This record gives sequence, C-alpha cells and structure tokens, in this order.
Amino acid sequence: MFVLVIHILNVLHCCVFVCLFLTVTAAEPWPENATLYQPLKEDQILLSDCASSLAVQAYLRMCGLPVQVVCRVNAEYMSPSGKIPFIHVGNQVVSELGPIVQFTKAKGHSLSEALDDVQRAEMKAYMELVNNMLLTAELYIQWCDDATATEISRPRYSSPYSWPLSSILAYQKQWEVRRKMNAIGWGGKTLEQVYEDVSQCCQALSQRLGTQPYFFNKHPTELDALVFGHLFTILTTRLTSAELAERIKSYSNLLSFCRRIEQTYFEDKRLIQSSCSL
Amino acid sequence: MAAPDELFCWEGDWGLPSVNTDCLVVLAYAQFAGAPLKLHKISNPWRSPSGSLPALRTNQKETISRPSDIIIHLRKQKYNADYDLSAKEGADSLAFISLMEEKLMPALIYAFWVEPKNYVEVTRRWYAEHMPFPLNFFLPGRMQSRQLEKLRLLRGDESLEAGDELEKELYREAVECMNLLSQRLGSHKFFFGDSPSSLDAYVFGHLAPILKSKLPNGKLQQHLKSLDNLNNFCTNILLLYFPRDGRETTNQKPSTQSEGADFDNVPNKRKKQFLSALVALGAMLSYALLTGMVSIQHVHQEALEEPPDLQDLESHHHEDEGDD
Repeated sequence: MFVLVIHILNVLHCCVFVCLFLTVTAAEPWPENATLYQPLKEDQILLSDCASSLAVQAYLRMCGLPVQVVCRVNAEYMSPSGKIPFIHVGNQVVSELGPIVQFTKAKGHSLSEALDDVQRAEMKAYMELVNNMLLTAELYIQWCDDATATEISRPRYSSPYSWPLSSILAYQKQWEVRRKMNAIGWGGKTLEQVYEDVSQCCQALSQRLGTQPYFFNKHPTELDALVFGHLFTILTTRLTSAELAERIKSYSNLLSFCRRIEQTYFEDKRLIQSSCSL
Repeated sequence: MAAPDELFCWEGDWGLPSVNTDCLVVLAYAQFAGAPLKLHKISNPWRSPSGSLPALRTNQKETISRPSDIIIHLRKQKYNADYDLSAKEGADSLAFISLMEEKLMPALIYAFWVEPKNYVEVTRRWYAEHMPFPLNFFLPGRMQSRQLEKLRLLRGDESLEAGDELEKELYREAVECMNLLSQRLGSHKFFFGDSPSSLDAYVFGHLAPILKSKLPNGKLQQHLKSLDNLNNFCTNILLLYFPRDGRETTNQKPSTQSEGADFDNVPNKRKKQFLSALVALGAMLSYALLTGMVSIQHVHQEALEEPPDLQDLESHHHEDEGDD
C-alpha cells in the first residue's frame, strides 16, 4: 500500500511539474540547458522507447541543438502525452518527435525547409510508415511475444518498483498494449507475420533510400533521424531472438546508412554503443 | 475454373458502393484488378462468415477479414492492380497507406462515430434503419463503443471524450494528410501513371465517405471540397468503376448486385415474418396460460379431488364431534 501511495504522489508531482511548464511563450533562442528525459538506460528502458528517444536525439544533433539526456525512473509519467521521450526547453515541455519537430521549427530550426511539396508529402508518409509498422512491430514483440514479455519487457519495465506495484504496472502496460494490438487488427498476427511486416517495411525504406546518403539526397531530414533511431536501436539491442535484427541486416544500404549517421552525428560520444543494450 | 470467391460488404448509400471505408477499399481494389467476386452487399454483420465486414470467403472456404490481407489474397490469385509499379512506387504506396492509417483514420472514426451530432443524426440512424429487426437496437451502439475504444487506444488516452480540443487536433492532422495526398497526386489522374493501383483504392476508400456523406458537422468535407484534384479523383473512380452506384440510389441496383441483394432480402423478410409470428404466438400463449389455462386445469383437478376429502374431513369432524 505504501509503495502505491508513493507512486501516486510521484505521478501527481510530475503532473504539476509538467503543467507549470506548459505555458506557451513566443519563440526564444535555444537555451544551453535543454534537457531530454527518458527512462533509465541500463535497466529500465525498452526497445521501442529507446528507439524513439534515439530518434529525437539524432534529430536534435542534426539540427545542431545541444540537449542533455537525463534518465528518470518515472519519465513516462512526467511526459505530457505519457510517451517517451520528452524535452524540457526553457519553460516548455514537448514530447514525441512530431511535436518536437514542430517546436524546433517555431524556433527557426528546420531540416525539411529545402524540400518541395511532393518531397515533404513523401517524407511525412515515410515517417508514418516507420511509426505504423516498425514501432508497432517493436511494441508487438515486446509485449505480445510471451518469451520476450516474460524475460525482458516485464522485468525491465517494472525494475524501479517493488512488488506488488511492479507486477501491477507491468501487467497493466501489457494489457493496454495487447488491447491496442487487437484494436488495430494486429491481435491475430503471429510473430512470423510481424517479422514479415518488418521486412516489408525495411524493403520499402531500402528502396526509397537507394544509393543516396540520406533519404532526400545530401542533407538529413527528420525522416533520417526517425529511421536511424529505430534501425540502430534494433541492431544494437539484444532480445530473446536475433530475428528482428537479422531482418534488417539483409539490407546493406540501410546498414551503411545507420553507420553514416552514427559516425557523423554521434562520433564524439561513444556511449551510444552501450546505451541501449537490453 | 473453381467457384469465385465471395465478398461480403456493407450496403452502399449516398451514391457510394458501400458506406464503410474498409469495404470501399476492397471493392475498389477488386474493380481495379478485375477480380471476379461474387458480391454480397448486406446490412447484417452477423451474416458475414467472420462476423465482421468486409469478409472474403475463398473457394477453399477460408475467411479473410483485414483489407490488406484480402488484397494480398487477390494478388496471389493473379488479380494484381500493382503489377506495373516499380519497387520505389510500391514503397511509396506502403508509406502513403500508413500515412492515412495514422492521420486520417482517427479523424474518420471521430467524424462518423464520436462527434455526437453526426453519430446520432447520420451514422446511428443509417445503421439502425438498415439492420434487421432485433440487431438494430443494440448493434449500432456496440459498434460505436468499439470505435470509441479503438480511438482511445490509438491516441493512448483512456478518458478520451468528444470535444472541441480533440476535434481540432484530429481534424488538423486529417487536413494535413489530405493536403499531402493532394500534393502527391498533383494533376495526375491516378497516383502512379494511368491505371489505378492499391494506393488509389485506399485513398478512395478513405476520402469517398467524407466527400459523399451528409454529416451535420462537415468540416472535413468542406476542406476536401476545396482540394479540386482529390475531389475529381473520387468522382472519377465512382464514374469509371462504380457507374451504377454513382447515380443516386433511387433506381434499383441491377444485375450481379441485385442478385446478391435479392438473395439476401428474401430470407431477411422470411426471418422477420417468422420472428414476428413467433413473438405474437408467444405472447398469446403466455397470456392464455397466465390467465386461463393453468388455473382452470388446477381448479378442475382440485374440484375433482378435493371435495371428497373435504367431505371426508367434515364427516370425520362430525364423527369426532359425535364421539365427543
């Protein structure tokens, strides 16, 4: 009971924290002390959250905006949308890549300015492809594959909490994700079908990338950040089965694309290699 | 050749071959690919082999429900509308289909099932009027709660309710999605070249209901009407591939569709007649039993058996009294 109360207080505290900073102000320059919040790297964060967080970090680095990564046990409850990651800039809190891109654009930083209308339409479409297929597949494997859920997802997700809260929160999360899968028609899929979807998605991305350095030729866009976040995380994360990473490894241009972004934007910090090993 | 696959779809209205997005996608793809399907346009999801619509019953008696799976099945049967697409165009199709599922679908659910005025005046009324008798009382409501649940899970917000803020956000995303589609289509007749592909089927399925339905809160429709190329795109597909439904549905649908409709209507009528007869008979019987038959029988039996007992008792009493 005591643990539950602490947890509720925690959530309440963070809601207040977020509400205080949600007041929208006019465009100000990017401050030095911008922070990005995510769950604990070593023993809490899950594949899908790690991928989303890495995508935002890649995006901010491509924009040349400094951000300090802070790990918090209750990052999920601090986020205004309940999703990982979120950034705290000046007196504003923004979560998820889409809104963060909008936010930086309002501050005068944009990667997709040079694209024409058709290209921008295609970029947005491919970003939704990644969200719709890769992210959903990651969630499916994390929570709907029993082996992964038992061995990795539930223990890691609930690691900061003591029993019984840990079990309650983990099963609650699993239950929620499974209901979502049923609602979008993924409930009846087998693991093999999900891998097949991942392959199909990678095939599409690989085709689109072709031999270019980035999806829209010379300069990276938010699409590159998103794709990098997901592919790199899948490639560097150890799961119960290596099948997911194997599916990506058959597309050599995607592999060199990941390596290129890692070298260009993450060279200074080696910590990324070890950051997201489950 | 083996018997054709059978496709079960929601009925059409508002000048559309079907009122449901998923059904429209499958119908349009089948038309584009020239797949010979035996069509059942029904308004009772319980008559579908999978319990939901659309559903495809293959000639091996398998049942497929998801539109994407149905399209894959048709493709395997060599009815492929995407045959001429390059690998990159195939990738683009996949991307834009995802875009619609993520950005347009939530707004569609909101507009048809969650927005209170639209739901009460159009959606619920349509389904209630078209469904057979006992189902029309509870199925529309159940469909609504399922759609609301889906929207809640998609948005990751358990307590999501209809409201201005939600509407604004969903419609903003939908409007952006429509603009992107419009930009991608440009002045072409179809998305890739001169013949329609699966992406065209998906776009048509998502946009045609917005364009043709007469919702009281028609903000999406207003915006769509301002995008001329998407507007023409939908009208064109209706004219070219669904000429019968394109004309307003005052005249009866002829040929293949009417076969299906007749086939479905007659048993429906019979079922209705049978049901009402059954209800009437039940009412009559219960009335008769409650008021007359039971008590009469009981009284009758008691009347036959009890009086002697009573007499006996009385006589015994008399005897007892006499003894005393």
